[in-house]
Amino acid sequence: MAWRASLSRSVKEIRVLFCQSSPASAPAREFVKKNYGDIKARNPSLPFLVRECSGVQPQLWARYDMGVERCVNLDGLTEAQIDKKLEELAMAGESLKTK
Amino acid sequence: MAFLARALRQSNSRLSSCPSVAASCRWISRTAAAGSPEAGAAVAPADPELPPPREPVGGARVELPPNPEDALEVFVDGHAVRIPKGFTVLQACEVAGVDIPRFCYHSRLSIAGNCRMCLVEVEKSPKPVASCAMPALPGMKIKTNTPVAKKAREGVMEFLLMNHPLDCPICDQGGECDLQDQSMAFGADRGRFTEMKRSVVDKNLGPLVKTVMTRCIQCTRCVRFATEVAGVQDLGMLGRGSGEEIGTYVEKLMTSELSGNVIDICPVGALTSKPFAFKARNWELKGTETIDVTDAVGSNIRVDSRGPEVMRIVPRLNEDINEEWISDKTRFCYDGLKRQRLNDPMIRGPDGRFKAVTWRDALAVVAEVLHQVKPEEITGVAGKLSDAESMMALKDFVNRMGSDKVLCEGNGPNPPADLRSNYLMNTSIAGLEKADVFLLVGTQPRVEAAMVNARIRKTVKATQAKVGYIGPPADFNYDHEHLGTGPQTLVEITEGRHPFCSVLQSAKNPVIIAGAGLFEREDQDALFSMIETVAKRFNVTRPDWNGLNVLLLHAAQAAALDLGLVANPAESIKSAKFLYLMGADDISLDKLPDDAFVVYQGHHGDKAVYRANVILPSSAFSEKEGTYENTEGCTQWTIPAVPTVGDARDDWKIIRALSEVAGALLPYDSLSAVRDRISTVAPNLVHVDEREPSTISVEVKPPVKQKVSSTPFKTVVENFYMTDAITRASKIMAQCSATLLKK
Repeated sequence: MAWRASLSRSVKEIRVLFCQSSPASAPAREFVKKNYGDIKARNPSLPFLVRECSGVQPQLWARYDMGVERCVNLDGLTEAQIDKKLEELAMAGESLKTK
Repeated sequence: MAFLARALRQSNSRLSSCPSVAASCRWISRTAAAGSPEAGAAVAPADPELPPPREPVGGARVELPPNPEDALEVFVDGHAVRIPKGFTVLQACEVAGVDIPRFCYHSRLSIAGNCRMCLVEVEKSPKPVASCAMPALPGMKIKTNTPVAKKAREGVMEFLLMNHPLDCPICDQGGECDLQDQSMAFGADRGRFTEMKRSVVDKNLGPLVKTVMTRCIQCTRCVRFATEVAGVQDLGMLGRGSGEEIGTYVEKLMTSELSGNVIDICPVGALTSKPFAFKARNWELKGTETIDVTDAVGSNIRVDSRGPEVMRIVPRLNEDINEEWISDKTRFCYDGLKRQRLNDPMIRGPDGRFKAVTWRDALAVVAEVLHQVKPEEITGVAGKLSDAESMMALKDFVNRMGSDKVLCEGNGPNPPADLRSNYLMNTSIAGLEKADVFLLVGTQPRVEAAMVNARIRKTVKATQAKVGYIGPPADFNYDHEHLGTGPQTLVEITEGRHPFCSVLQSAKNPVIIAGAGLFEREDQDALFSMIETVAKRFNVTRPDWNGLNVLLLHAAQAAALDLGLVANPAESIKSAKFLYLMGADDISLDKLPDDAFVVYQGHHGDKAVYRANVILPSSAFSEKEGTYENTEGCTQWTIPAVPTVGDARDDWKIIRALSEVAGALLPYDSLSAVRDRISTVAPNLVHVDEREPSTISVEVKPPVKQKVSSTPFKTVVENFYMTDAITRASKIMAQCSATLLKK
């Protein structure tokens, strides 16, 4: 969980897209409900945009410096795997910064 | 016969709130049947015993109740129809596909029954029946096409035309006049009146509504509209018999934000548009259905244009958003689209004067300056009227240049952009009609969103809903309880010490509406946290009802928050060496460094051009395709009605071209490609005409450590008629400000 405190230094923006009611988005919905408070408490100024739209595949987007973006499809992933994917995106931000 | 067919088609279109293709086809086939025996035989049903079902009149609103005992069956011209209990004969005929002529009846006003034009014959009734005022009874047999009904209507039309002036050629209502259409369809072919016609003195209702009261047929639609919808007691009937007049009793202006709607509901030319007087005929105009951008309601409008000029703006039916009304600002700001327009790219020379240049030169200068500043010194500001495509392009471009400082006017220092339920009207505008208590916090809906205020007033009138208001003293056109002026009142409600708590406690569907002006406060986080505490305490948010709302101020605000334009304006401008203003005229530039380079992209020469170094002209909302999201989260598209002025371009295309010249090429070069990009940021913005509800509630937010300041709430909209670049350029709005604003 230490990587969460430095999330706002490696990532400029996090976006989570999912459907309000489809089963494919259920883990993403649960992940946001359980983890948004903790992530936001550690990174008050990081935009963590949660966008719900019917018929949308669950996705996790990260924007880094110079407008570079990466996307992870969350279809079929569990909550723990989503958390792992978010950490991977944060690590990718660190490597981009050192470049 | 062709003229009669067109008149009948117009009549049908005029009588129905919402014209439909089916209705038009039916009229054409009926005319053909009348003209040709073979066509008549073809149209006749094959089995006379079982007549085919009839299509309801376009715009007829009927919802059969689930309980069969709440419905009844009536026969209209021999056809059986099922209607809910409580329907009138006229509504039953509409469901049966029969257009009943009317002057005084309007489906959104109360029933008056004084024009007598809707007379029909009912079996077992000795006299013709005024169908708008007669409830339909089970088994009632209604005849609308009998000699008795026709004679009755002919007589009523003869009486109406007795004192009506023969000035159709100079009347602005020509071509869209109910009296014209119905006299053609139902009147006699000659007049018998040989005495003197009556004249009536015209009244002065203000700079918007022109009156020729001699044409008035005293249907009282305007009186009922002013009383029931607009909420002002300005109009009334004076005198009786042949001396009847509609007027204001004393010399008085009509001071409602919705006064222009009386022009639409007046069936004759007594009340017409003063700015539009003698400008055009309706058959010369091309109508384009588009969206209003003067506030965050997103009213559906039709822009009538002739060639390159917008001639007028009229409302379009949308039951969920604006019903069939629009505010006066929406309706009359159109002359602002023709004045103070920017039409050429301009660069400020060394002597401080602007010089017109080509697009290539302007973009080259901007790109050159962009490369001279550091990435973190670049700031982009979107204005109140920006569409989602332009804001997406601006954000992508500034991000690719290495800066995060992209913001939208009016969203404050710390916008709550993460969860959509934090900044939308979650109840929806139509859903406000189900509420029984309103708590308005720091918002004055009468001037911030006149259509939402009309909806609240409708609820207050219909169900006696209670309204509590926290903010500076204001007038809303309905009864409200002024609870206080600042956050201290909210603290008392949170702690349960305020008398209004008992009202909130006993409410079944309470609604809290917070104003977007609260975004500008430094203690915005703590304030919204307190509002959320009130909502939790009084059961405002639950699975079947979400009464927690934010009433936004500008057309661009919801889409900007969806797309994540969340930079702090004060810090961004203080550190800016390159400032890109996209229609942003009301942001404070006092803290801007003197050596900052300012690019202004917009369609009007308004406040911000005086600080600009480069001006890039862009299209107004009536000249481009754009996506706008309203305060309830409904995405809508604008359609271009008139060509762009001069050498102006769409906003997003300018930024796309600039990105190419600056070397940070954006990957889209068509509108559909921009919208595809938007779908990866806020996919709800590509679901047009739909609201996407939010299921993530505010309870997932971390606790707020901020303290609430005791500063009172302030008025956000001082002048209802001048809120953006278009309205400030409008001469009509200037006249309204001078004569109608209360001092």
